[in-house]
This record gives sequence, C-alpha cells and structure tokens, in this order.
Amino acid sequence: MITVLAATLLVAGVSAVLAAILLVAERRLVAYGTCTIDINQGARTLEVEGGGTLLASLMANRIFIPSACGGRGTCAYCKVKVLEGAGPLGPTEEPLLSKEEVAANVRISCQCKVRQNVRIEIPEHLFSVKEYRARVETISDLTHDIKLLRIRLLDPDTLEFVAGQYVQLQAPAYGDNPDPVYRAYSMASPPSDSHVIELIIRLVPGGICTTWVFEMLKEGDEVLLNGPYGDFRLSDSQREMIWIAGGSGMAPFWSIIRHMDEKGIARKCTYFFGANKKRDMFLVDEFRAIEKKHDWFTFVPALSDPAAGSDWDGERGLITEVVDRRVEAGGEKEGYLCGSPGLINAAIKIIKAKGVPENCIYYDKFE
Amino acid sequence: MIAQTAGAEGTSLGYLMLILLSATFTDNILLTRFLGMCSFLSISQQLKSAVGLGVAVVFVTTITGALNAALYKYAIVPANEHFGVPLGLQFIVFIVVIAGVVQLLEMLIERVSLSLYYALGIFLPLITVNCAILGACLFLVNLGFHRNLLEATMFSFGSGFGWMLAIVAMAGIRSKLKNQYIPLGLQGPGITLIITGIIALAFIGFSGMVQLAK
Amino acid sequence: MTLTPTAIAGRRALVAQLWDENPIFRQVLGICSALAVTNLVFNTLLMCAGLIWATALSSATFSLLRNYIPARVRMIIQVLIIAVYVIMVDIAIRAYYPDIYQMIGPYVGLIITNCIVMGRLEAFASKNRVWPSALDGLGSGLGYSFILLSVACVREYLGFGALAGYKVPDPGQLTQYLASAGAWVVNLFGHVEAPQVAGWWKAWTLMIMPPGAFFVLAVAVWIARTYALRREAAAQPKKGGAS
Repeated sequence: MITVLAATLLVAGVSAVLAAILLVAERRLVAYGTCTIDINQGARTLEVEGGGTLLASLMANRIFIPSACGGRGTCAYCKVKVLEGAGPLGPTEEPLLSKEEVAANVRISCQCKVRQNVRIEIPEHLFSVKEYRARVETISDLTHDIKLLRIRLLDPDTLEFVAGQYVQLQAPAYGDNPDPVYRAYSMASPPSDSHVIELIIRLVPGGICTTWVFEMLKEGDEVLLNGPYGDFRLSDSQREMIWIAGGSGMAPFWSIIRHMDEKGIARKCTYFFGANKKRDMFLVDEFRAIEKKHDWFTFVPALSDPAAGSDWDGERGLITEVVDRRVEAGGEKEGYLCGSPGLINAAIKIIKAKGVPENCIYYDKFE
Repeated sequence: MIAQTAGAEGTSLGYLMLILLSATFTDNILLTRFLGMCSFLSISQQLKSAVGLGVAVVFVTTITGALNAALYKYAIVPANEHFGVPLGLQFIVFIVVIAGVVQLLEMLIERVSLSLYYALGIFLPLITVNCAILGACLFLVNLGFHRNLLEATMFSFGSGFGWMLAIVAMAGIRSKLKNQYIPLGLQGPGITLIITGIIALAFIGFSGMVQLAK
Repeated sequence: MTLTPTAIAGRRALVAQLWDENPIFRQVLGICSALAVTNLVFNTLLMCAGLIWATALSSATFSLLRNYIPARVRMIIQVLIIAVYVIMVDIAIRAYYPDIYQMIGPYVGLIITNCIVMGRLEAFASKNRVWPSALDGLGSGLGYSFILLSVACVREYLGFGALAGYKVPDPGQLTQYLASAGAWVVNLFGHVEAPQVAGWWKAWTLMIMPPGAFFVLAVAVWIARTYALRREAAAQPKKGGAS
C-alpha cells in the first residue's frame, strides 16, 4: 500500500514541479506584450496581443486574408508583404516563397508570429472582405457527388461581388478535426441578388469541408463565410471568349452567364464543359435554354467516357480534344478556364496552340 | 590501459576526461549502443539539419542527464529502499523530465534568439521521444554514474556529443553519395545502415584506448 | 464460426502486421533495440516477449480509453500506458534473469519510446475497437520479433557458433559433413580419404559486435525491400485511359 502511495507521490511530485516551472516560463518567456500592426502606411492601425500569428491577429480584427489550409502552412494563399518587424524568415515559410517574393519582404502570414510592432501592406480590396453569418436555405443534388447550396446572408445581409469571385466557407470543428477550416468556393449565383449566394460543391473523398457539407450540413443550418475574393472575372475587352470547365468549375460560369443574360452583355462566347459520364453532367437544360435565347452564346457539353449504349447526343471525348476540334483560330480570342489543375494545364496548352495570346488566358485553379 | 570504477571516491579531472572519451568514442551512444537510429536515418541527409539536430541533442542530453541523475540518486533510490517503490519507475520520471525540459528549452530559445530557434528549435519536439536521450539517462544509471553528479553530467554531454559526431559524419558522407549508383532495395535506410556499420568499425579502433570498469 | 466484422478486422490487422506492413521493413522503425540485443538469441527472445506483451496490452488499453482522452494529453497518456506494461516486463526480467538484465536492461526501458509501439497506438488503436487493436499490437510485436530473431540467429550462429546457447555445427563442421559425405560416396567406387576441412571456420567475431549488427540488418532490409518493391511494381495497374 505504502509502495503505491510513494510511487504515485513521486511521479505526481515531479510532474507537478515541472508543470509549475513550465507555466511560469510560459508567462514570462512567451509574453510579448501588446504590439501594433500598421497597415498600408497608417491606413489602419491595430493593437494586438503579441505571440500570435500575423494571420490570426489580422483575422481577429476582421481583416480577412485568404487562407485555404487553416494555418498549416501548405496552401500559400495568405501571403502578406511585411515591411518591418517580421523577424528572420522561418523554415516553414521558405519553401513556399520565390526568391523575388523573399526579396520583396513577402511572408506567409500563418507562419509568421507577431513578436514586436510590424508594418504591413495588403491589397486594398482585402479591406472590403467581410465575414458573414448566413443560413443554408436549400441543398439540392446536381449529380451523385455534386451539390448546390443556396445560402441566405443574415449578418451582414448583402454581399456585393463581381461575377466569378469566390468566398471562403467555414467548416466547423468536428470528428477528428479539432479546428475549423476554411475552403474556397466560387459563387454560382449572379451578383444581382446580393442577399443570396449559391455554391456548387463537389465531394472530395477524405476532404474535411466537403465531407462536412455532404454528411452533416442540413437545410436551415447557420454557416460562416467570408469574402469576396478573387480576380477571376470578365475582362474589359470585347474579345470573343472561350470558356473551358469541368466538375465544380461550372460555378463561376453559371454566375457569369446569368449576369450577362440579366445585364444584356452580348459578348460572343463558347462554353466547353467536360464531364466523365452522363450522370456527372448537370445544368445542361438551363444552359441550352440560354443558348436558345441568345445567338452570341454556344454551349458545348462533352462526355469523356460515356457508358456503352448511352443516349448522349452531345460531343464525346476529353474536353481538350473537343476544344481542339471545334475551335479554329484563337488569335483574337480570350480563354477563361476553371477546374482542377490537371484540366487547366491541359486546356492552357490547347488554346495556346490555337493562338490565344498568353496574357488573354484567365484561370481559377481548384486545388 | 586506464581503468577506474565509476563513482569511486575522489573524482579527478583525468577520470572525467576518461568518461568523456569513452562516451564519445569507444561507447558511442549510436555506433555502439544503437540508440537514436530513427531520427539519425531520416535527418542525416542534409548537413545543415544534421548539425542543427546534433546540437539540439547535445543540449537536451546534458541538461536532462544531469537532472535525471540527481532525481535518481535523491528520489528514486531512497523511495526504493524505504518504500519498496520499483526502480522501474525511473522510466516514467525520466520521460516526464525530458518532455518538460524540451518544452522549456524550446520556449527559452525562441525568446532568446529567433535565428537559433529556426536553426534547431524545430527539432526539439522531434527528440522528445528520441530513444537516445532516454537511453543516455538509462545507461547513466546502469553504469552507476548517478552516484557522482559531475560524472553524470560529463557522461551525458559525451553521449550527446558522440551522437552529434555520428550524425554529422553520416550527413557528410551521404551528401557525397548523392550522385552514386545505389541498388533500389538499398536506397535510404539500407545504405545508411551499411555506412553506419563501417563508421562503427572505424570507431572500434578507439576501443582499448579507454576502459571503464563497471 | 461466423466471422464478425470486428473479428475480420482484427485478423486482417494481425496478418498485415506480420509481413506486408511489417514495421521494420516498411519504415525501418524501432531498430534501436533490434540492433542492440540481437547478438544473443536468448536475449532477443526475452526482449521480443517483452515487446509483444507491451504492444498488445497497451494497444488494447489505449483503444479501451480512446474516447475518453482529450486531444492535448493524448501523447502523455500513451506514454504512461506503455510505461506501465514495460515496468511489468522490467520487474520480471530483473527478477528472473538478473545477469541478462545487466546486458539489456536499458533497452527494455526503451520499449517505451520504441517508434513501433507508439506508432501502432497512434495509427490503429486510436481508431479501432479493443480486440482488433490487441490483435494489431500482437501482430506488430510478432512481426518485429520475426526480424529480430532472424538477425539474432545469424549473428549468434556466425559469431558464437551457437543458437540460444546451444552449440550447433558451425560452418566449418558443416563443410566437414559435406566433405565426408562426398568422400563416402566416392568411396563406393574407390578408396578416398575424407579431407579435413573443419578448421577453416573461425568464429566471426565481427558479427557479435555493433558493426555486424548494422551489416546484417542492412542485408535483411535490402532483401525485404527489394522483394516488396518488386511486388508493388507488379501490382501496379496498367496505365492508360483518360481520367
């Protein structure tokens, strides 16, 4: 009996002493006091608790820097220019920055800690990024693995954006994931209805956010999102457009085409949308309706691997092959691409081969 | 042949040097006692990280070795004698101390020097469960060095330093090997083990130089 | 006997750990002790028994508690659970084999930090039920023992000419048997003296020293990996078709 007591006391004693030392040390050593963050030469100044990451400190003050990996240092979306006060470049930041970026004082804000006063520069439009509380109105199935979410904004209740931009949807902590994560999804609804946004989400096996959307999210649930972000949008020119997309890459184009339809933007445009089998194809009737309505719009859906005996009457083959067949000279055209990196790389190759100038190719890669 | 018993009365500087030499060369914690292989195999590819990890190991081994020796001598042995507490309790106590010291060290380094922190601070969590640190403490006890704290500190430092020598040597050799042909099955751990064996062979040349009786 | 999903999962886990997912081959983990104790087969047997005990039981215990442990203290609790079972092993060896304990004592304690044990707890026991976890722990312990015993047999045989302390014919004597057998056959046709070749084998001391351990393990890893790589290459589906 006394053996057990003595043993427990010994271990408990040592642990307690260590824990006490660690707590004291944490108080004294890790305390950095209050630090100021000066943004854009004094346009805004924040007072924050030192010791946190730059990204977290900014977000806590409602300045939303894009981030897709939740602060793990893998996506490199959260680059911020730090003019002074960032300390030496960290080993987790180095692999994500090019030499030019390092020379320009660009840092990965989720890996950079605020230990002293810092001066940073962020693009103007990030000031207009806000966080929104919203409610999921409807969840409908577009295909077996793609859903359409219709989300009504509550607070603030309007979101002004340009067709083609995206928001970051927050998947709360659940199951094995202790922290909430943000994932980017392009808005599929036209900007005209600023109280409601639509998102097209494709299930990624093992994906944290998409699994949550598919398995746990219900109509009526409240969600958090922030935005708008992104430079993917119609250009100012009047060039004829080639749109190429696959899977959930449909989203920005569904937004842009309805916007063009509403506002009467009559630019000549051919939309190539690729899917695997007929069950992966969606919104075909809606796009055909718009095609009938306007002579400047042509819709070319294609299946790369239709089932034998399928009644598909549209194009067949890889979308890049279809583009190859249907597009002639591309010298006076513009390319807009949206989908997986593999699709985009292949599509860039094919339209460049058709003569589309490199600075007229716009894309939004869904990593 | 120089021989002396551990913990003997009147520890001389000469004896301390003996301990240092033996822990570093003849009874090298990695090449003779096989401890710390996991991180050794993975980090030894680059010289820079090898040095960083090596220095971190030296720091942690020395500090925790001294601490654990003291704890063993003044807490565990008396508990065993008076209350019948099993000596095996050393495992838990040592691990707790190592984890605590590593965390403390991490905080200290981050505060004192950021560049140092980036150089070796990131390795610190890695070595909490590194068997070399715990092993050094256990061997310390096994060989009886806990009876004299000065000897214990010297032994711990020697162990850490010997480990660092081994990993730096390995990193140097592996960087030379980068462009050589190595059969597919041997790539990675296989060839590293063979090289380690050859280095160990070389270090055997040091044996007989120093002998520490149990 | 119908196999419940749990039973199947457990059995699969056990078999997987023996060869396909054998931790030493796949990730070359936990070899610290693999090298240290394998100069004598008997010491290896004790070590392996201890490791199997610790891994199987701590896997089971951790699996039992997995839903009640907060994330922050998970690692510490894992270490404590393993430590409890290792202390049992330590007390047992200290009591029954004190001489051997002098040689391998610290390595017994190092089972706690053995990457294999912690690895299985983290990878399997944290997500599975008690019985499959126990079997998974048993399997990885057995897989580990398989390697260690192979290495130990080679080392002790070549180094001491014995296995687990029992003298066995060393390569010199084996060659002698062969030579004598050959001579006997030739004798059927004409008289021939059996050549005396037993003496060529001297104990290969390097095998029982540290470098020998490194070399033998390197060869074992080489063979295992080549075999595994070949199997993986053969199992690759033929590339082709649009994705």
